[in-house]
Amino acid sequence: MMPGIDFQRLAAFRYAIINFIGQDGYPWSLPTEFEVTPQNEVLLKKPASPVQVTGKRVGVLFNHITAIPTGGYTDRRYMLIWGSLNEQDGKLKLHPEAISEWDEKILPFPELCARAVPQGQRYLKSLQRQPEG
Amino acid sequence: MIQVPGWVRDVFECYLTCEFTTVANGKPVTFPLLYFYEADSGKFSVTSSILFSKKVEHMKKNPKVSMLFSNPEGSGIEKHAILVQGIALCDDSDLDHGWERFLPYWRKKEPYIDSFLAEREKFGWFWKRIVIRVEPKKIMAWKNGITDGAPEVFG
Repeated sequence: MMPGIDFQRLAAFRYAIINFIGQDGYPWSLPTEFEVTPQNEVLLKKPASPVQVTGKRVGVLFNHITAIPTGGYTDRRYMLIWGSLNEQDGKLKLHPEAISEWDEKILPFPELCARAVPQGQRYLKSLQRQPEG
Repeated sequence: MIQVPGWVRDVFECYLTCEFTTVANGKPVTFPLLYFYEADSGKFSVTSSILFSKKVEHMKKNPKVSMLFSNPEGSGIEKHAILVQGIALCDDSDLDHGWERFLPYWRKKEPYIDSFLAEREKFGWFWKRIVIRVEPKKIMAWKNGITDGAPEVFG
């Protein structure tokens, strides 16, 4: 089992989204139900996909926002788990390989921005390298 | 412009966020994003701070993207699931002002955005933003969000 996944927090999301690349090169995203078993297995309800999802590299996104009555939203959090899927008892079992996540209650947005400064620098440098056309 | 029924258009106009997928080395990379829908053209836009610009690097290498509309939270309408596959065009020619034309759309979705904008100097690099426009090529729609049946396909 891959370390670094907080399965208790994961189980609190309402649904999952299976993301993969189709044969024509376009990404696909299919929302579906999921459960976390007592053994920390992530099992997804099999969507009726026109495209085969097993045997592919997938990213499964778990996403949450809470609406603010006066407009907008808060309580942003997501987990994106990359891995593969195989069929198990009519469901899809996720085999996690890597994770990217953010929960604004754990890492407030200003701190997230501060951590992202190297990416901003990298992007600005890439623009300086572009030849004038 | 791909023609879609009213319930699909309602989703585009009312949902607050989408799940936006880019392709990086054959791998899907999906994050929730605020988006703007331009009903006249049927195109979608998102803007990205340079701080969170990896997705833009992905799109410059491979413009094939998808946008899933699956979360009705805060929209006031029912849950549906709509998948838009399209081609993204990234514009970073004016990082400081190019995105400002989307502020009226942004205010509708996040009325408090002006308070962040007032602190523009404090969050300077957050407000250096790339504009990404997505032209839909295919739209798949699952009414009521039930994906164990075939979608309606448009385009």
